[in-house]
This record gives sequence, structure tokens and C-alpha cells, in this order.
Amino acid sequence: MLRVALRGIRAHLVRFLLSLLAVALGVAFVAGTFALRSMLSGTFDGIVEASTPADAYVRGLDPAADASDDGDDGGTAAPAGGPGAAFGSASPGVPLTLIEAAAAADDVAAVIPVIQGSVVLVGADGTAVAAGQAPSLALVYSADDPSITLLAGSAPVGDGEIALESGALAASGLAPGDTTTVVLGGEIREVTVTGEVGYSASFAGATLVLLPQDVALAVYAPDGLVSQLAVFGADGATQDDVVASVTRALAGLDAGDAAAAGVEVVTGEDVVQENKDAIGTVLGFITTFLLVFAAIALFVGAFIISNTFAMSVRQRMREFALLRAVGASPVQVFASILVQAAVVGLVGSALGVAGGLGLVELLRAVLGSMGMELAGDVPLDAASVGLSLGVGTLVSVVAAAIPARRAALVPPVEAMRDDVTTPEAPMHRRLVVGLVLALGGAAALAAAMLRPDSGRAGLLLGVGAGAVVVAMLALAPAIATAVVRVLAWPLVRALPPMGRLARGNVVRNPRRTASTAGALMIGMALVGAATVIASTTQASVADVVAQEVDADLVLRSAGAGIPAGAVTDVRALDDVATADAFAFAALAVAGPDETGDGGDTGDAVAPAAGTIVVGATPGTFGRTMTVTTVDGDLATLADGLAAVNQTVAGEDWRVGDTLRITSSTGSHEVQVGAVVTSQGIGGSVVVDADVLDTWEPPQAQVIDTVFVRGTTGDVEALRTEVAAAVSPYIVVSVMTSDEFVSDLAAQVDQILVILYALLGLSIVIAVLGIVNTLALSVIERTREIGLLRAVGLGRLQLAATITIESVLTAVFGTAIGLAVGVGLASTLPTLFADQGLSQLAIPWGSLLAMLALAVVVGVLAALWPGVRAARLRVLDAVSYE
Amino acid sequence: MTASRPAASPIASARGLVKVYGGGDTAVRALDGVDVDFGRGRMTAIMGPSGSGKSTLMHCMAGLDRPTSGSAVVEGEEIGRMNERQLTKLRRTRLGFIFQAFNLVPTLTALENITLPLDIARTPVDRAHLDAVVQAVGLTDRLGHKPGELSGGQQQRVACARALVARPAVVFADEPTGNLDSTSSGEVLGFLRRSVEDLGQSVVMVTHDPTAASYAHRVLFLADGRLVGDIADPTPETVLATLGSLRRTGPRHAAPAEASPSSSPTAS
Ligand SMILES: Nc1ncnc2c1ncn2[C@@H]1O[C@H](COP(=O)(O)OP(=O)(O)OP(=O)(O)O)[C@@H](O)[C@H]1O
Ligand SMILES: [Mg+2]
Repeated sequence: MLRVALRGIRAHLVRFLLSLLAVALGVAFVAGTFALRSMLSGTFDGIVEASTPADAYVRGLDPAADASDDGDDGGTAAPAGGPGAAFGSASPGVPLTLIEAAAAADDVAAVIPVIQGSVVLVGADGTAVAAGQAPSLALVYSADDPSITLLAGSAPVGDGEIALESGALAASGLAPGDTTTVVLGGEIREVTVTGEVGYSASFAGATLVLLPQDVALAVYAPDGLVSQLAVFGADGATQDDVVASVTRALAGLDAGDAAAAGVEVVTGEDVVQENKDAIGTVLGFITTFLLVFAAIALFVGAFIISNTFAMSVRQRMREFALLRAVGASPVQVFASILVQAAVVGLVGSALGVAGGLGLVELLRAVLGSMGMELAGDVPLDAASVGLSLGVGTLVSVVAAAIPARRAALVPPVEAMRDDVTTPEAPMHRRLVVGLVLALGGAAALAAAMLRPDSGRAGLLLGVGAGAVVVAMLALAPAIATAVVRVLAWPLVRALPPMGRLARGNVVRNPRRTASTAGALMIGMALVGAATVIASTTQASVADVVAQEVDADLVLRSAGAGIPAGAVTDVRALDDVATADAFAFAALAVAGPDETGDGGDTGDAVAPAAGTIVVGATPGTFGRTMTVTTVDGDLATLADGLAAVNQTVAGEDWRVGDTLRITSSTGSHEVQVGAVVTSQGIGGSVVVDADVLDTWEPPQAQVIDTVFVRGTTGDVEALRTEVAAAVSPYIVVSVMTSDEFVSDLAAQVDQILVILYALLGLSIVIAVLGIVNTLALSVIERTREIGLLRAVGLGRLQLAATITIESVLTAVFGTAIGLAVGVGLASTLPTLFADQGLSQLAIPWGSLLAMLALAVVVGVLAALWPGVRAARLRVLDAVSYE
Repeated sequence: MTASRPAASPIASARGLVKVYGGGDTAVRALDGVDVDFGRGRMTAIMGPSGSGKSTLMHCMAGLDRPTSGSAVVEGEEIGRMNERQLTKLRRTRLGFIFQAFNLVPTLTALENITLPLDIARTPVDRAHLDAVVQAVGLTDRLGHKPGELSGGQQQRVACARALVARPAVVFADEPTGNLDSTSSGEVLGFLRRSVEDLGQSVVMVTHDPTAASYAHRVLFLADGRLVGDIADPTPETVLATLGSLRRTGPRHAAPAEASPSSSPTAS
């Protein structure tokens, strides 16, 4: 029987090649995901190791995290780049005064303060140097630092000199000796590039600017606090030796020295590990996200595989009956088909693994050309390969099991029959199951919508959406006939014989039509939902801006925030009435319940280390920004009180509560004076800018947005003036309110593009599925095609018939998928009104474009089967067995 | 009777028709120099043992297959030289086909199957003619049914109606009653004969059944790719007798002309 099975594959190579391709595409995505993950983690691990070269680190002791010091908040101390670094850290800073004591300890060669500040470097072409999304960072240049080497030129000394890391130097187009502009700590400086510096590993495209230690400290640590001190040990000293001796040295300081009490000393290895763990968590999210798409791809691939086997089994019913008649048992027939499926699965998966690696290599090349160098090792281990192969094979075998069962149960007498038809099982059960699922799903959604604030709304939404999607797949065969008849009506009218023939073929086997369209249904349901969510978000954003913002101009920055100097310069303009800035700082904020002075009650709720605290220019509210006050009075901001933004922070904190804020300067308390709701303020807590400045140095804050009002009302003139004022700062863009809205919308679109790219894959697989079904049904209908040709159907007409068939299938899948996706997404505004989705917007234009795309997909999918059918020689077709 | 009708120009004719399948040692001469004229407004049957080349002759005459050499002419047009597009047009407008089985498109109703050639050619349906044809095949109450809901005999009658509805120059039928019992065969053959008598159709039909052949005006006998016999106004008895005499001489083409009761195969 094994031989029969393998012969079967050889004899029907075309149809097996198609299922092979389906498996391969699905598996390529799975393997690619794994490969991408290990490549990214390799790259980031490299960065972590390169940026954590010291033997030991002295860092502030996080008062909240010491209860659970297993490093679950390792991100707080992350010295590696990333936007978090620009926000400053939430743990208290380390006083620079400790350097001396630490440096005097045994086994210590050098102690260097760690600075990673945001910076703008202007390249030779006058624009800011930036590689993709990678940050630009200012670091300390110290001759004592063993992790850096001066490759060319001289070390930077004093205010007017910087050195550049090799990558940054190349990207900037500058050379040692050139002068250029940098924006340091919000101020513009003219500097000379004195040298080129090499690091032990790549920073994945981050632009690194090195400053003399005194300059860096003056700019980024004006209050004498840095996030960490890097301690390099003397030759021969282990990391543990260094930690021990530094700890001893610091303990030996004046016992009452509060500064020394608030710090801890850890080994470099520990810091590396903490950071790797933190990155691992983030990568875990990305991997999960990608694997979801891989699962969709495989699921969709399974449809094709099962369709292929179902059709090939149908066509070979007589062969199976014959095998049964000559004595094969049902189990043998069943097994022979499963063997075929396993071979297809294994070979397809192997191709897929190779394809996945190819995809990742391609991605690496693309990113490399954009300046992001990724780690170079082979990014796939045996376990991932095994898993990919296993998943692909399993999916194939499972997909083939149902058709195989049908084949196994064919009665031997069927072999004698002329025309073997397997009667279509009635759809009652399917209808009942589908309707129950659909109703259940709808009920869950309704429940979620009725009580959006209950904790279970999210779960209900997920379960409901899942049930509706499954119901869609279950009901599709039952509704296929009716829907296709409606869709086909104009075509039957316009192209009588072709339209009618095509419609007949599509509704002939509704199950097949439905499962062929299933891939598109799933893909398009996701696309539809994503499109609605995106346009809803955009509409909501526009709504928020319209409601909350009343400014002539909006300043934003493409880099890490707007330089403070730019704000000062804009304020100084004659025609500017006000320039209201929103500065962000990520601090640890604890409410009254969480502060707990009992100590031993084991305050379970550790305050979020990265709560965004917003510092607003005094008088902003009621001037350029209007928010809804729930309780209290925003005027209390002027008295140094805080406002809590319920939209982000939730309803835990009330007016009169005292919040405890932990920043690099230590612990601070503030009373809540108002509770507001605002989509526009991206933070939980709002205070006056002056208050925030006392908590966190301005250099550690990020100015996100500035709202500008003019005195004259001539927006164009104001714009010209403001644009001229901020142009030296390079990274600041000046927008009108409308442009601001479309800028925000464009950010949503960017996310959507990634989503579309991923969903594109499921559409590729869907096209493949239609090709597959059409090609097989052309084979199945060979005699009929011969007959049509014999009575005078031309080749083009035949090809047109098959194309219409394909388009009908594609449009059917797309229409159903979009309807379900849009329907599901429409429930979101009710559910997430307070998360910013206030305005349901259904992008009819995009949806129509999707339908047009479906027509294109249908035409494309019909090309090959159509040509194949047209090429059939009439006589061969007429006498085809 | 009809044989005495003045012989108009033939509706289709073959000259020196040769068809060789394959090549080298395995080459099969399915047609080995066939000269024949099919009469206009007549029903011609082709008989012969299995493998004698009957279907091949019909396929070559109908432009479904290309002869290796020789010419096949339908209504004065040489079909050996036509390209695919011309052949499609010819089939659509000038020819009708009836096969042994699988004659109908399963997704279309009986009526849609009948009008299929007209739909394809985008020719408006001549209602009166359609009604006449449908009436003649006795399918008036079955027009809305799909082929799967019709009996084998009914299906073949639908096929006949389809072959005739576009008023083709000639209808080719390859064993149209091969799958039918004698009653159904009688209905189908009677209908074909009437279409010749009443509508002036020309029909060429391959059959193994002497009774079926006796419906024709003339029967041609093939053996090993050559014309070996030709009788006019056949009865089942004369057909059987001719088959018997051919079988006695054996299927060698030693002396086909002598074995033939009629002197010249091309005479009509
Ligand atoms: N496509 C083909 N390739 C090779 N040989 C063929 C092909 N078609 C027919 N033949 C051969 O040509 C010869 C004539 O075949 P044909 O089908 O014309 O016979 P027939 O008289 O119609 O027989 P039957 O009564 O069985 O239908 C046979 O020997 C057959 O084997
Ligand atoms: Mg034959």
C-alpha cells in the first residue's frame, strides 16, 4: 500500500505541488518567526553586552522594587538605548559624589558615570542623522573607559568638541576636524568633531555622540545625579571582588550619608542578565504576535490541503473502490492517503523552513541597507526546525484525515459504477452548529457592549469574536449558494453562457466553494477589522483634537522630543501669545493605598515604574487645551497640586489623595487637586511644569508637544515666523491643527502597513487556494470542458468562464470576511470609548478597494488554471477517462 | 425511394484520408486512405469492428482531430487547414455533436443545455424552431430539469435537441444509442431520422447495432481503417448479412472492394 500511496503522489504531481506550496508558505512564516526572534535576541544581547562593559555598577536602590528584587522591572535600569532611556529612569539617581569613594576602593581601575542623553546630530547635509527608528544618544567619553577606543583624531575636550562612533561618523558624512551643530539638552551648540571612536559591538544603528565627561555631566546631570556609575576592575579582579570592595568602600563612608545608603552595587553580569531578561519579555510579545499570524497562515494552508485531498479523493473514488474490491481494507486505504499527506507535509515543511530562513536573510539585508546591522549567526536552532517540520506535517495529516476517511469507507461496488458521485451530506447539522455559534458569539459581544466597564468585557469580546469567526466558517457552505447567486446575477445577465456556466460551477459544490473562499474570509475579516479600527482611531483622534485643542500651531518632533531651547525661542517671538508645552517624564507613582507606611503589610501593588507624569506650562488648561473636569478644580495646578487623568490612570486616585512620586531626585509627595478625563493628554498625572522640574531635571524630560497661539490671527505669517525660529533645532516640525490630525493619522497608517504586510501573506495563500481548487476542478471537469469546446465554446470564452468562477469565489470570500470583520470591529468603540476609540468610522472607500482587490485576486488566480483549460485538446478532453 | 433522389453536392467528403497514431514500430494506421462522400439531407451510418477507425473518421470529419494526410471537407470548406479559431467557429455554427455519454453540462437545465450552442454563438433563439425541436424529442415537460434528474434516454434526446437547435450543416453522432435500451434507442433514432426527413438535416452516425443502422439511408462499413462496404436503404437483415460476409473474408484488407456488395464506395 505504501507503494500505491507514493505512486499516487507521482501520478498527480500538479495537485500535490500546490498543496506542497500551501504547507511551505505556512511553515515559512513559522520558521521565519523563530529565526527572526533568535536573530533579534542575538542582536540585542550583543547590544546589551556591548553597552554594559563594566565589571560592576552602582545604581539607585528602587524603594518599591526591593520587596521583589527578582528583576521583573529590569527595564528601569536599562542602560541600552530605546525611548525609555530618554525618559530618564524612575529609580533614584546615584550622586556623583560617590565616584571618589568608589574609585579609591581596592581592585578598582576606573569609575565612570553612565550618561545616555538624547541628542540631535546634524550631518554634513544639514539634516538630523538618524537610522530608522534607532535613537541618537549622547555618551560620556572617558580615556579611562576600556570599552571604547579612539580610532582616529583626538579625544574631545571642553564645550566645543565631540567625538563620533564609527557608524554615526559614516552616516553623518562628517570627518574629524569638521564643525557641525548638535542639540544637547535642548540647546543648540556649534561643535567640532575631533575623533572617531570604536565600540566593541554594534548598537544596531543608534547614532552615538561622545562628549567629554564634564560637559556630559553639566548637561545631563546638573543636579549631580546619574542613573549609574560604571566600575571597571583592575586586572585580575573578578566581578564579585569588585562588587565586594566597592560595597565595602561605600559602607565605610559616613554612616549618616543618605546618598550612600540609597544605592546598590551589582556585577556587570547581573545587569546584563537583567537587561537580557527584559528584552526577552519584549521579544516574547513580538514572537507571540508573529506566531499568531503564522498560525493564521497555517490554518489557511490547512484549508487548501484539506481541499486538495478532498478533491483528489473525489476524483479517485473509483480507484479506491477498485483497491477495496481487490482486497484492500478501509484502514489500508485510509493509511495510504495519510502517508501521502505526511509526505506532502514533510517536504512542504522542509521547503518552508528554507523559505523562512530566506525571508529572514532578506529582511536582514533590507535592514542592513537601512543602517541596522543585525547579528550574523545562523538564526535557527534544531528545536525550531523540528517544531516547524512537526507543525507542518501534523497540519497536513490532520487536514487530510476527513477526506481519507471518506475514501476508506467507499463501498467496493462503486468501482463498477460508471459515474461515482458521493452524495452531499445535508447541511442541517452545520446550519444548527453555525447558528448556535453565531448567536452565542453575538450574545457575548452584546454582553460585553452592555457592560464595557466590567472586568470581563475583554474576555467576552475575544470569545464572542472567536465564536462569530468560527460560525462564519461553519455557515459559509450553507449560505454560499444564495450569496453567489446574488453576486453572479449581473454577470449572468451580461455574459449569458459564461456567467451561467461559471455560476453553475461555483454553486455546484458549496462546501468546496466555501472552503476555497475560507482563506480569504479569514484574511479579509482581519483586514476589515484592522481597517475599521484604524479609521475609527483616526476619526477619534481628529475628534479629540477638535474638542480639546485650540491652538494656531502645533510643534512636534520627529526625534526624541522638542529641545527646550526651541520652546524658549518660540516664546520669545513677538507674534506668539503663548506656547504651551507638555513635558513627559516616566516616574514611579504610588497612590495612598499603595504607599502604606506599615511596611510589613507586604504592599502587593508595586507602583508602575514608568507612569507618565506630564508637566504642563502654567495656564495651559482653558487656553490651548480643554479637558473635562470630573471632580476638583484644574486651577489647583497653580498651587502645586496634581491632576489625575482618569482616561489613562483609571479611577483609583481621587481628589484629596496624596500621591508618592519617586524620581531620580528622590521621593516626593503631591496632593490630587482635580480629576479629569482627556484622550489628548498621554499621561496619568498632570502637574505644572515648575513642579515637574523640581522632581526631574528638564534634561530628563521629553517635551512631546507644544501648542502655539499667535497674537494676530494670521496663522500663515505666524507659521513662517515660528518655523524660522525652530529651524536651527532641525528636528522640530510646525503644523497647523489640521496637519497635526493628519500627522497623527499617518502614524496609525504606519502601523496598519505592517499589519497589511502580514495579512498579505494570508491573501497570497488564499490566492494559492483558489488556484488549487480551480486547477483541480478543471481536471475534474475535463470531459465537460471537452463537450463545451465541441459545441463551440472558444478558448477565450472558456478562460473567461473560469475567470468568472474564480472572481465569484474570491468576491464571495472577501464580502463575507469583510462583513464579519467590520461587524466585529464596530463593537469596539462602545467597548473602548475611554481608551480613545470614541468615533466609529467605517472606511467605505477602503472596503470597496478590498472588493476590487478581490476581483484582481480572482483574475490572477484564474490565469494558470484558465490557460491550462484552454490548452486542453478538444478530442483528448472529450475522451478523457 | 430516397436513394433515387438526385444527388446534390455532398454535405461532407473525405479524400485519401489517412490518420496515423504514434510513430515508429508502434505506429497505428487508424485511417488508411479513406475516400467518402456524405450525402446532403441524408442519414449515413458507419459500422465496423472495434478499432476499425469509425470514431477516428468521425473526429477527422468534424475537426476534432487533424488527419495525417488527405483532406476533409465540410460544406465546401477544407477543415484540415483551419486554425483553432476557425474550427471553433465551425463547430459552433455548422456542426452538431452527439456523444455516447456525458453529453450535457450538469450545472445547466435541459433547456439551457439545448440552447447552449446558440448562447455561445450569441445567436438569438428561434422560438418556433426551438419549440418544434423540443416537441419532436418529447421533452416539453422536462425542460427545467438538470441532467442528473433525467434518464439516460432523456439525456440523449436532450443531446439530440441541442445538436439540432442551431440548424447545423451536419450532425455527427458517435454511438448515440450505445448506452440505451431498445425502446429509448428507437425514440432517439426515430427522432434523428425524422429530423432528416422533415427538417432536411444531414446526419452521420457511428453504431454497432444493425437495427440502429437500419434507420439510416445508407450504411458504410470500415475495417482496419479502410472502407470495405457500402449498402443503401439498409434493413437489419441486409446489414447483418453484410457484416457476416465481411467477417468471413476476415478483417484483412486483401480485397476490400470485391467483398463489398456495392461496386464503388464513393458512389452515393
Ligand atoms: N489517441 C490514440 N492514440 C493511439 N492510437 C489510437 C488513438 N485513438 C485511436 N487509436 C487507435 O486507432 C484505431 C482506431 O480507433 P477508433 O477509436 O477510431 O476505433 P473505433 O472504430 O471507433 O472503435 P470502437 O468501435 O471500439 O469505438 C484503434 O486501433 C485505436 O487503438
Ligand atoms: Mg469509437
